[in-house]
Amino acid sequence: MQAERLRGEEARRLAPLRRGWAALRAGQERHRPAVLSLLVLAACLLPWSPLGTPFVVHVAILVMLYMVLALGLNVVPGFTGLLDLGFVGFYGIGAYTAGLLTLRFAGADGWTGWLGSFWVILPLAALHGALWGVLLGAPTLRLTGDYFAIVTFGFSELVVLIITNEVWLTRGPMGLPGIAPPSLGGYVFGSNLSMYYLILGMVCFTVLVMHRLAESRLGRAWFAIREDQVAAQTCGINLLTYKVIAFAISAAFGAMAGSFFARWIQFISPNMFKFWESIFILCMIVLGGMGGIVGTMLGAALLITLSEVLRVVLPPALVGARFLLFGLILVLLMRYRPGGLVPSAQPPRGRRVARGRRGEAL
Amino acid sequence: MFLQQLINGLTLGGVYALIAVGYTMVYGVIQLINFAHGEIYMFGAFLAYTFAGTLGVPFYLAMVLSMLCCAGLGMLIDLVAYRPLRLAPRLAALITAIGVSLFLQNLARILWGAQNKPFPHAAVPAYLHETALRFAGVTVSYLQLFMFAVTLAMMASLHFIITRTRYGKAMRACAQDRVAAYLMGIDMDRIVTATFALGSAMGAVAGVLVGVYFNVIFPTMGYTAGVKAFAAAVLGGIGNVPGAMLGGLVLGIGEAFGAAYLSSLYSHGIAYAIMILVIVLRPYGLLGKREGVKS
Repeated sequence: MQAERLRGEEARRLAPLRRGWAALRAGQERHRPAVLSLLVLAACLLPWSPLGTPFVVHVAILVMLYMVLALGLNVVPGFTGLLDLGFVGFYGIGAYTAGLLTLRFAGADGWTGWLGSFWVILPLAALHGALWGVLLGAPTLRLTGDYFAIVTFGFSELVVLIITNEVWLTRGPMGLPGIAPPSLGGYVFGSNLSMYYLILGMVCFTVLVMHRLAESRLGRAWFAIREDQVAAQTCGINLLTYKVIAFAISAAFGAMAGSFFARWIQFISPNMFKFWESIFILCMIVLGGMGGIVGTMLGAALLITLSEVLRVVLPPALVGARFLLFGLILVLLMRYRPGGLVPSAQPPRGRRVARGRRGEAL
Repeated sequence: MFLQQLINGLTLGGVYALIAVGYTMVYGVIQLINFAHGEIYMFGAFLAYTFAGTLGVPFYLAMVLSMLCCAGLGMLIDLVAYRPLRLAPRLAALITAIGVSLFLQNLARILWGAQNKPFPHAAVPAYLHETALRFAGVTVSYLQLFMFAVTLAMMASLHFIITRTRYGKAMRACAQDRVAAYLMGIDMDRIVTATFALGSAMGAVAGVLVGVYFNVIFPTMGYTAGVKAFAAAVLGGIGNVPGAMLGGLVLGIGEAFGAAYLSSLYSHGIAYAIMILVIVLRPYGLLGKREGVKS
């Protein structure tokens, strides 16, 4: 009783804030094209503004890279409701596909061999990622959530082990240095500034694809699976097919981001693709609000900025330990705001209990 | 060679089994993969290191103290992180578990530093590192004997607790059917707390044993060991305590032979490969029941 009354009071106190937020959201809904164009324009101008120091541009590229990654991962836990702990495996597959093809086929200018061109490698890497997504997903997506999560995790660990140990192919722990940057015609994307616009384009492309997917028949099937598998199946949705498609698309975006990463940073090594990277990306979509596009991007922006600022601010001994904060964020969010910062749908809390599996309810 | 690998594998397998039991008990009762369990194992090793190495507590006492502290830590984690989420979707609890694991791992980094630490030799009774038996080209150290004895004793007492005591009966009831157990007046929260305490204490012992055996401890040690132990739990059939013991031994032996005869580079990979194969082909494990795994 007491608690309920308190909650009521709190609700009353927060009411004006809520109304303001609702108005803001409604305005954003109504003027969405204008808001979007303004945001993209602002992003285009950022490097030329007084804010655009080399450090800021570097962090911005990182933010956008992780936006692509987080949006890619979001398809599986966010849209389809399956926990994927091995996303970074696909990121690594993409990066190594790009790195190896570039080193083998691209000339010094990164253009000579057509197979070494970034614009050929990008879709190839995405396809390669999707292929592994299907190979891994088809046999394992029949399992319930927990088991599937563990399999994906094992897969990403195996990917790291293989690229560490198959020295003849990947040079193992020494990594692949000297990967040429992308080029188009005669123009080489040699500077951070040009890479900034390249990744900005990739983010726009990813957002567009994700938005169209979420509105499509495919997306609706995913949401149905997320909300209630049994009901979805009853409505004639082939669970396995739709889950495999989600997994493959997610993997393709991971690999795509990986190929950008390889050509941007120009050096890749196995320990860039460790398990904690997956958790970091997962943390972004949880923070932003699973399933939402805006929230996911916001989560990526916040966490990368936080991480990079902490890297500069913290004493060297504590830099590695900044993940402590991310762990805390995950725990607190699940406890107090399971829907994330920008909840995309009403989080199913409590109500589900009565309908849970045997033994799940109380 | 063969016999030596078998003995090494059994020693390590016993440790995996000790950790795996913690996973499997918690999973049995609340269907949660407690990702933080590997971190408890790591804390067990580090606490014993602090007690025995820094504070000069006798080794065996340090081991018991570390067990008690980890049991407390396990209960605390459940109370603070998992209990508020009992009614939330499974995904939320799983993500929380990952968060706790990340938090503890980095807490250890802050408390003890990120470098590898040797387990102080002076803190461990000297005879443990001596050779106890030598036959047919096989050497067994006192430490290996000690590890084996401790593992056996822990397993036996756990088996006793689960099958013979009131608490064990209540735990099995909760694992079988939570609602029915609740209706019979079993206090779910108390059972879960006790389960966490018991599992964490076993994990802590494993941490101390491995720390002394390999003579190195580091903040990320719980990660690999945790995964392998989880693989062992899956192998034996998750939720099944004797299965976890068997799974640990099988995995330990498999790893020892794999490293010796196949490739030492891929010794970690063997655990992952076994885990994936088991999950795909026989998700209910070696001893598990055939239900509730496929959707």
